[in-house]
Amino acid sequence: MSDSLRLEKIDDFRWRIPAGYKPGMRVPGIIYADERLLRDIREDKALEQVANVAFLPGIVNASFAMPDIHWGYGFPIGGVAATDPEKGGVISPAGVGFDINCGVRMLRTDLAYDDIKDKLNNLVDALFSGIPSGVGSKGDIRVSIKEEEEILVKGSRWAVEKGFGIQDDLDCTEENGAMQGADPGAVSDRAYQRGRAQSGTLGSGNHFLEIQVIDQLYDAKACNALDLNLGQITLMIHSGSRGLGYQICEDYTRSMVQCLNKYDIKIPDRQLACAPVDSSEGMAYLSAMKCAANYAWANRQCLMHLTRNIFERVFNSSWQKLGMSLIYDVAHNIAKIERNMVSGENRVLCVHRKGATRAIPAGHPDLPQKYMKIGQPVIIPGDMGRNSYLLAADKNAGETFFSCCHGAGRLKSRSAALHTINADTLLKELESQGIIIKASGRSTIVEEAPEAYKNVNDVVRVVHNAGIARRVCRMRPLGVIKG
Amino acid sequence: MTIKYEIIDHTADIGLRIIGSDLKELFQNSGLSLFQISSRKQFTKDKRHTPVVIKQKAENIEELFINWLNELLSLSAVKGLIFYHIKINKINQNSLEAICQGSSINNYKVNTEIKAATYHNLSIKNNEKGWEARVILDV
Repeated sequence: MSDSLRLEKIDDFRWRIPAGYKPGMRVPGIIYADERLLRDIREDKALEQVANVAFLPGIVNASFAMPDIHWGYGFPIGGVAATDPEKGGVISPAGVGFDINCGVRMLRTDLAYDDIKDKLNNLVDALFSGIPSGVGSKGDIRVSIKEEEEILVKGSRWAVEKGFGIQDDLDCTEENGAMQGADPGAVSDRAYQRGRAQSGTLGSGNHFLEIQVIDQLYDAKACNALDLNLGQITLMIHSGSRGLGYQICEDYTRSMVQCLNKYDIKIPDRQLACAPVDSSEGMAYLSAMKCAANYAWANRQCLMHLTRNIFERVFNSSWQKLGMSLIYDVAHNIAKIERNMVSGENRVLCVHRKGATRAIPAGHPDLPQKYMKIGQPVIIPGDMGRNSYLLAADKNAGETFFSCCHGAGRLKSRSAALHTINADTLLKELESQGIIIKASGRSTIVEEAPEAYKNVNDVVRVVHNAGIARRVCRMRPLGVIKG
Repeated sequence: MTIKYEIIDHTADIGLRIIGSDLKELFQNSGLSLFQISSRKQFTKDKRHTPVVIKQKAENIEELFINWLNELLSLSAVKGLIFYHIKINKINQNSLEAICQGSSINNYKVNTEIKAATYHNLSIKNNEKGWEARVILDV
């Protein structure tokens, strides 16, 4: 980070990068963090990236960063930016990322810790062998080209129509599991080829399926509404659009680099390549991005279906009897056209969330009826050794265009983790805490070690105290399947 | 053959510094470094697969470099191949032609999935010793 950057303290949880920090910034940067998190954030180049995003034409209010912010490419991970299409606002594939609609879903169960503790090893083994994971993994759910197009348009609904879920799953998914306006014609043949046969696969790296137990309740009313109690077993599934999304991002970054001259756009990092939202290039990207987003929702729906099937086999009972309903599914790499109030005016904005989760509070018209009184569930996976959280969007979420953090955020690079952490020692430590890990490779376990991440408890404290999303309950991991 | 590259630190992703005595070697090393990382330096040579010809054009050397690496990653994923031998037949600042030999990904235990090469902090320099590139990969 540049020594010349002097952050201005707004309050204990908000900090400002003045718009004058770099000539060309159109708005200031606003970082949600406390002093402790800020010390780590200053260590890498994430704050420079917050300032770079502030150059985007048509950006509204500020370039925002969530407390899990860390150095990415183009946008910081944990970055939020809204642009106004009527004021020359742009859309940038870097504000979404390569893994379009990488996201997470959380399921509840009626099982208690005592019900699964003796079966945990079997369960983790069954999930590991039953759910395809790892680089380029291919799923058992094979589809024809025509069906693949259908997935890109219908998203989760495609899976439900195939029998891989129920209507209630769609009600509990952001955008009901399908963004309108997805155009398969905007997706290249290469992207189709790269995504083929990956439905129902977890992927690699930080993607996971986790069995958790609730160890702390914070909001009795919300827990009651969600039917969640201490000691209850929950599940989290983290995956994205796989190769299809990577290729769409690459195809459109390539075309948008050419747009910088065409539309006379000045940005300090070419990875932030962008085009006006209402230009032909901008609209084509948005249509293709929606295809990948829908594919990712279908993918997580398939992964949940496989998970339910495996639980049915292990517990010899139906998933309905096991109470395995979906709490919610949120995207955390996405751009969406959403309504927001800006200086008292109702505006339609293009909201980029790169490593950030939508968070609409109680009473918002886009909420499903069942969450109208408590606000949208916001799912925050932590690392595989500490906690994860379920939050609910809170009263101040409007200040970030209804966006919240998406996880703990990386602290250590993968290579630093590989140099300093021993896989055997780590696995023993986790085992002593009652956590079973299964991964396709030992290096993944080390790269994803708890000490490579910020403490999610610190991250969540910031969004809770800033009134962006409040704590509902906390979970700790029991079994982790890694790609 | 030693592929001249080293990993440089990045919080979430992987940074690479690659060198080459000329542009041909820089691009060859850069391409092979991707697959050295994913195959953990254990190339399996296998000539059963037809070599893949890659042709790229770009406005400038930076775009050519990024397009080249992303084309390799994309073809590797689509064809299920790890490229272990790359020969750059022709190259200038705006275009290249290369021939790449790959072996099936099933011969490998791949743990690191490189999604793409990015422009963020990209530098390609020519000095008295040859060429050096720095690039950040999304993993």
